Amino acid sequence: MLSLLLQIDWQKWRPENLFGGQVLERTPAGLTIVYIIAIGIIVGLLIVSFLDNFRRPKFPFEIGLPREVTRKLTKTITNRSLRAWQFVFVALALTVFGFQVYWTYFADEQNEQFQALSYKDLRTRRTTAASLRGWMFDRTGKLENALAYYKLDQNKNIVRAYSLETEMAHLLGTERGTPGLERTLFKREADPMPEAWETLTKIRHLEHEQRDVRLTIDHDLQSFLARQLQGKKGAIVVLNPQNGDVLAMYSNPSFSLDEAQDLDDYLKLEGNKRDKPLLNRATREFYVPGSTFKTFTTISAFRSGKQNSIFASYPGGYVPYRGSRPIVDATQKLLPDGSVVGACDGGCQEKNIVEAYKVSSNQYFAQLAIDLGRERLRDTAGVLGIAAVDSPDDALLQRFFPSIWNTSNPSIAAALAPQQSAIVTGKDISLYDLGLEGMGQGYAGQMTPFQMALIASVPGNMEGKLMKPRIEADQPPEPFAQVLSPQQAAALRDIMSTVTEEPGGTGTVISAKLSGTGIRAGGKTGTAEKQALLYDDKTGKLKTIKKKRKNDKGELVEYDAPLMYERTDSWFISIAPLERPTLSIAVVVEGGGFGATTAAPIAANIILKARDLGLLVDQYKPKTVSTQAKTPDKPKKRR
Amino acid sequence: MKNRTSSHFFILAGIVIVTAIAHYSIYYGALIRGYETSTVTAGRNLLLLGLLSVLPIFLKRFAKFKGNWTLYTSAVLLFSIGLTIQYRLFSDPEYTSRKDKAEARQEKIKTLQLHYIQESYSAEKKQMMGLPATPPSPVDLSTESPRPADQTISDVLLSGNTVNPLLGFAGLIVAFLFMRRDDFLDLLQKHGFLIVLLTLVPLIIAAITSRAGKALGNMTPWEPAKIPFLIGFAAILAILYKNLARTYWGLPRAKDVLPLLVMAMLPFVPFFVLKDFGQMMVFSAVYVTLYVIAVRRFSQRFVLIGSVVLLIGVLVVGALPDKTQEEIPLLPMLARPVRTVLPNRIQQRFHLWLDGFNPPTPDTQWWKSDYDDYYKKLIEKDPGLPQMLEENPELQKTINVDAWFDILAFQPAQATFGIASGGTTGRGLGLGYPELIPVADSDYIFAALAEELGLFGGLLLTLALIVFVSAGVRTALDSRDMFSKLCSIGLAAFIGFQALVNIGGITRALPMTGITLPFVSHGGFSLITSFVMLGMLMAFSHRNAVDRENSEIENLP
Repeated sequence: MLSLLLQIDWQKWRPENLFGGQVLERTPAGLTIVYIIAIGIIVGLLIVSFLDNFRRPKFPFEIGLPREVTRKLTKTITNRSLRAWQFVFVALALTVFGFQVYWTYFADEQNEQFQALSYKDLRTRRTTAASLRGWMFDRTGKLENALAYYKLDQNKNIVRAYSLETEMAHLLGTERGTPGLERTLFKREADPMPEAWETLTKIRHLEHEQRDVRLTIDHDLQSFLARQLQGKKGAIVVLNPQNGDVLAMYSNPSFSLDEAQDLDDYLKLEGNKRDKPLLNRATREFYVPGSTFKTFTTISAFRSGKQNSIFASYPGGYVPYRGSRPIVDATQKLLPDGSVVGACDGGCQEKNIVEAYKVSSNQYFAQLAIDLGRERLRDTAGVLGIAAVDSPDDALLQRFFPSIWNTSNPSIAAALAPQQSAIVTGKDISLYDLGLEGMGQGYAGQMTPFQMALIASVPGNMEGKLMKPRIEADQPPEPFAQVLSPQQAAALRDIMSTVTEEPGGTGTVISAKLSGTGIRAGGKTGTAEKQALLYDDKTGKLKTIKKKRKNDKGELVEYDAPLMYERTDSWFISIAPLERPTLSIAVVVEGGGFGATTAAPIAANIILKARDLGLLVDQYKPKTVSTQAKTPDKPKKRR
Repeated sequence: MKNRTSSHFFILAGIVIVTAIAHYSIYYGALIRGYETSTVTAGRNLLLLGLLSVLPIFLKRFAKFKGNWTLYTSAVLLFSIGLTIQYRLFSDPEYTSRKDKAEARQEKIKTLQLHYIQESYSAEKKQMMGLPATPPSPVDLSTESPRPADQTISDVLLSGNTVNPLLGFAGLIVAFLFMRRDDFLDLLQKHGFLIVLLTLVPLIIAAITSRAGKALGNMTPWEPAKIPFLIGFAAILAILYKNLARTYWGLPRAKDVLPLLVMAMLPFVPFFVLKDFGQMMVFSAVYVTLYVIAVRRFSQRFVLIGSVVLLIGVLVVGALPDKTQEEIPLLPMLARPVRTVLPNRIQQRFHLWLDGFNPPTPDTQWWKSDYDDYYKKLIEKDPGLPQMLEENPELQKTINVDAWFDILAFQPAQATFGIASGGTTGRGLGLGYPELIPVADSDYIFAALAEELGLFGGLLLTLALIVFVSAGVRTALDSRDMFSKLCSIGLAAFIGFQALVNIGGITRALPMTGITLPFVSHGGFSLITSFVMLGMLMAFSHRNAVDRENSEIENLP
C-alpha cells in the first residue's frame, strides 16, 4: 500500500499542473469550479438526508390503524400553518435569488440606468490600469525608433514614455483633453474579465497577443519637422500621395505630454490664448490658403475640360461685373480711389493655365473660377473632401471630417479628424467673391494645412486619385475619390514643375536648393493676409484699445476693443520627386511673409531630409560614404 | 440516507476538504497578484471546521444527541462558506490596510503588468525597459517574491475571528445542554413576561449609547436580545393562544390582547430610535410568524397580516421616487405626510433601494448636507468652480452624480456591479475584485460571494439556507407542545429572515439595512447568537426524538 502511494507522481497532481499549464489564472479558476461542484454535491446530500427525514416518523401505536386515520393524526391547524409558512419562506428565498439572476443576466441589457453608469464600476478601471497598451513604432518598425513604449522609472514603476514627446504631442493626444492615438489606438475588444469556466474552457495557452502598432510616421522626419518650425508658429503636413501614408505632421507651438498630465500645467496650456499650444494647427486651424489654392481651381479646370482656357490680364484689374471692385494681381495695388497701380503679374497679355500658374496670376484664376461656375467648383470640392456650403454663415460652422481617414477603427478617425475645410458656392455670393475664391482669398479662407496637403497629393498620385490618409502602416491603402485621370495628373505635375524650375516661377528657390541631387519637385507658393489678434510680446496679454459704442439705450459706452493686425502667412505646397512623387508637403508659417521666402525653403529642406532618410525612390538614395556611415542600413529596410 | 451521525461526519469531513481546496485557490490567486495569504489563518480556519466536524461525535457519545443532524450540518456548511469568503477578503492587503491602500493597489497592478511583460514582450523590448532580457515565457510563480502576509500566530489566535467562533461553539454546547432539560424549559415558560423585560435591557443601553445602528465600535449588543424576545413571546403565546380563540361578540378579551400589543411594539420603538431598520424588519417578521402560527381564528390573523401589509404599503408609498409619484394621481398627497415622519436615514435607504442609480436632486432634504460637504471639498481643491458652474449649469448634474456615487451609493453600486460581473460561475476565488466593496466581510459578504462564485454560489447558499430552515420547520412540526413548537419555528424564522433581509438588501429586492448574514458574515455577537440559536434548535430536535422513543417504550405491549 505504502509503496503504491510512493509510486504516484504527486507532482503531477498538484493543482497547477492539473489545470494551470501556462496560464496562471486557470489554477484558481479550476479549483473554484471544483469547489462549486463539491459544495453542490454536499448540498445535494443534505437535501437527500433531509428528504429522508421529511416523512414523519411513525409512532408504534399507528401500526394497526387505517391510513385515513394516520394521515389525520398530526394535521392540526398549527402544523398546517407551519407548512404554509415554510412554503412562503422558500418562495421568498427563491425570489431573492431571482434578483441575483436579474443583476447577472438581464441588467446589462435591460436596465438603462445601470448601463449608463457602468463607468462608475471601479473594476473596469482596475483592469484597464493593469493592462498595458501596445508600443507604437514608426514606419521602420525598429525598437530604437519606438514612438511610445514603457520604461521603468526611479521607483521601478512601469511608466509610459515617448521618444518624441513634444514633437508628436498633438498626434498622441492628452489623457485629459482631446483624445489622440494613445487613447484610441489600443481599444481592446475581448472581455478582460472572464468567468471561471470561461478561463478554464477557453483560455488554454498563453496568447502572445500583438498589441503593438506600427505607424506611418517617420521618427526622424517628424523630429526634423519640429526643428524646422522652431520659434515659428505654423504647421507642416507630409503625406505620401501614392498610398496616403502620413509621414509626418507637426504643429508649432507644441507642448509636452508630461505637462499635460498635471492639472495645473494643463490649465495653463489651455489658458494660453496667444500661442494655443494645445491646438493642432495642422488639422484644426483654418488659414487663408492664398495662391496655393489655385491648384484647386486648376484641378477643377482639368475635371471640366477647361484646362486650355486662355484669359487676359488687365492693367486696371479684372472687373467681374459692372460696378464691382476689380480683382488685381499680387504685383498690383488697388488704391482707395479705385485706381490700380503696378504691372500685371507676368505681363498683361493673354495667358494659358501653365503660364498663369507659374507666375500665380490672380486675374487669370479669378476669371477661370467664374468661368467654371459654382456647380463645378462644388463638385471638385466634394471629391477633395472640402465642404461646399451655400452661405458664408454656414462656412463658419465647425464640423469635423473623420471619414477622410483610413483607419482600423472609427475612434482613431474621430480623434484625428480634421476640421473640415469649406468654400462657399451658394447663390448668395457675388461673382467677385467667386473670383476671389478661385485665387484662394475671400470665402476660400477656411483651409487647413492638412487639406492643402491632400489637394497637393492629387496630382502627386500616379493615377490621379485622392488617397485617404492613413496613420497605421498595416492598414491597406484606400482611395477617397478618383479626382483626375492619370494623364491629367501627369499634366498637372508638369504645370507644378514650372513654378520651381522655369525662370519667372515663384518657387525657384526649391530647385536652387535641390540642385545637384537630381530631384525634381513641383510646388506652389502662397501668401495670404489674415486679420489676427495682437498680443503683447512681453506679457502675452491681448492688446486692446479703448473704443466707444452705443449701448441698447443709445448711450455711448467705452469698451476694450481688441487690437487687430494684418498677419501675412507664408504657404508652400509641394510634391516630390516628380516622376513618381512620394512626398506631398504643405507648409504654413504664421506671419512668415512671402511663401517663397519662408515656407518654400522649409519644404526644400524636408525633401532633402527625406532623401537622406530614404523616403524617396531608390535612385535618390544618398550615395556619399559619409551619409551612409551616419545612417547605417536604414535605407535598406525601408519599403 | 438515514440520520446517522457517521454519515453526517463524512459530509462534515467533506466540507473541511472542500474548504481546504478553496483556501488553496485563494492562496494561488493571491500569488498571481503578488501577495501571499496567511497560511496561519488558513490553518486556523481548517482547525475551526475540523473542530465542528468532530463535535457531533462528542455530542453523540456524551450528550446522547438523537435529533436531526441536518440542522447542524447545513449550518456548518454556511459557516464554512463564510470562512472562505472572509479568508479571501482579509488576506488582501488592499482590503485590510487603512493607510497604504493605494500603495497596495499599485503593487498589485504592477505585478500583473510585470507578468504580462514577462509573458509577451520579446527579449529586446525587455532589455530596452531595463529588465532582464529573457524571451517571452510563462511566469513561474515559484521564482517570484510576493509581499509576505504579516500576521503572526499570536495575532491570528487572539483575534476576534478566532475567539468569536470558539465562543459560538461553546454557546452552542451550553444552549444545547440547558434547553434539552425539561425543568429548564418549564422555568422559562413560567416566567415568560419577565424574560421579555430582559430583552429591553441591551436594547435600551444601545439606544442610549449608540448612533447610526452601530454601538461600541462595530458590535451590535442587541443581537443576543433575540433569544429572550423569542422565548418570552413563545411563552406568552403558548398560554394565550387558547384564550384568544374564546371571543365575546367576536372580540377577544382585552387582557389577552394587551400583552401581544406590547410585544408588537417592542421591536419597533427601540429600533426606531436606533434607526436600525433591518433588525426591526427581522423582529417584526418573527413576530408575525409566531402570531400567525399560534392564533387560530382567521379574523384575528387577518387583522395582523392586514395591518402589516398596510404599514409596509404606507412606508413604500412614502419612499417611492419622485418620478413614479408624479405619474400616479393622488400619490404625492398620500406620500407627503409619510415623508415628513420618516427619518432621513430610512428615506436614503428607500431611495437607494427603489431608485439607486438615479441620484436625488441636490436640494432633497436628506441629501443636501452630504452634497454640500462634497461640494465644499471640491471648491477647496478648485476655487474656480462656482464660476464654472455659473457658466455651465449642466455641471451641477455631473457633480451630483459623482457625489452620489462617491458617498451614499458607492457601496451598494459597487456591490451590484460585483454581482453583475460574477456571471454564472463567478470570476473564481481570488480572481475577482470584491475588495472594492467596503465592509464586504460582514454586511456585503453576499456580494463578494456572488462576484467570485457567481450564480451557482448564490444558489447553493440559498439552498443550504432553505435546508436549514426546513429542518427547523420539521423540528417544529414534530414538537408536541405549543411552547417548543413556537420556539423552534421562531429560531428558524430568525435565522431565515435575517438571511433574506441581508441578501435581499444586497440584490435590491429589499432596502439595504446593514444586518449580517447568519453563520456567513464576519461578526461578533451576531455569530455567537447564531450558534446559540443553532444549539437551541438542536435541543428541541433532540427532545422530539427522545419523546418519540419514550412513547415507543410506553406503548410497548
